[in-house]
Amino acid sequence: MSIAHTLLRALDRVAPARVAHAHCDIPCGIYDPHHAQLAAHTVIRMVDLIGQLEKPGPDATPEQRQEYHNKLARYIATKEQHAEIYKGEVRVLWGDYFKPEHVQQFPQLHDIVWKALKSASKGRQEINLQGAEDMLNQANEIAEIFWKTKGVATVKAKAPYPTARDTVYPKLG
Amino acid sequence: MFPLARFRVDDQSMEPALHAGDYVLVNRWAYRKVEPIPGDIVVLRNPEALGQFLVKRIASGTAGSYVVLGDNEAHSRDSRHFGPVPKDLVIGKVRYRAKA
Repeated sequence: MSIAHTLLRALDRVAPARVAHAHCDIPCGIYDPHHAQLAAHTVIRMVDLIGQLEKPGPDATPEQRQEYHNKLARYIATKEQHAEIYKGEVRVLWGDYFKPEHVQQFPQLHDIVWKALKSASKGRQEINLQGAEDMLNQANEIAEIFWKTKGVATVKAKAPYPTARDTVYPKLG
Repeated sequence: MFPLARFRVDDQSMEPALHAGDYVLVNRWAYRKVEPIPGDIVVLRNPEALGQFLVKRIASGTAGSYVVLGDNEAHSRDSRHFGPVPKDLVIGKVRYRAKA
């Protein structure tokens, strides 16, 4: 540490220096719509699992009821969590990655993002397969735009998960 | 207006020329008679948040409008994002640097 630095730092006690940000927000440049797509798959899967869960009948034992409630609670908790992950991921792409020139090129972007966030609220609040599928469809639309802005071609393929819905993937390498 | 202003550098976008924690002295009169030239390190108001200051390097400029870039491209938000900056947002030229 130089003498000049020590002196200037001492001056800070009298009158703090203003800060010149070399700012950042760290635009690290690392974004990918895949997280949102994956979260939508999880929400779809949880809705499916909830639907497949056998409800305890009138003569179910307390243990069977307990097991039912335990599974249901876990599916719901996961659905809540992944709907929220989805919203966070979509907001980051929208607010941090996409630039005004992208919106000029893809004027539908704001509307898709708005619909995606609304679908995710529905996917979170309700046991609603359509809402969950809308989440994935909108994440796919966002992914298509995202990869176009990167100059990367995309392909729509059935996801290799139990949900097996059409998903937009980048054609890399 | 006193010509010298003190700023403390935050974050990394001007590495290796400036590091977080360095102090710089800025000549606010530097561009009264001459224009900024490519290579000058300047403190400017952030065009995206006018209450905030940025430190960047002039890359090019014409007629009162300047492209500013951080030296550390991967960690800099600059004219690549917010476009050229009008001269009246430029506070002054960095004249002296005290290393942290």
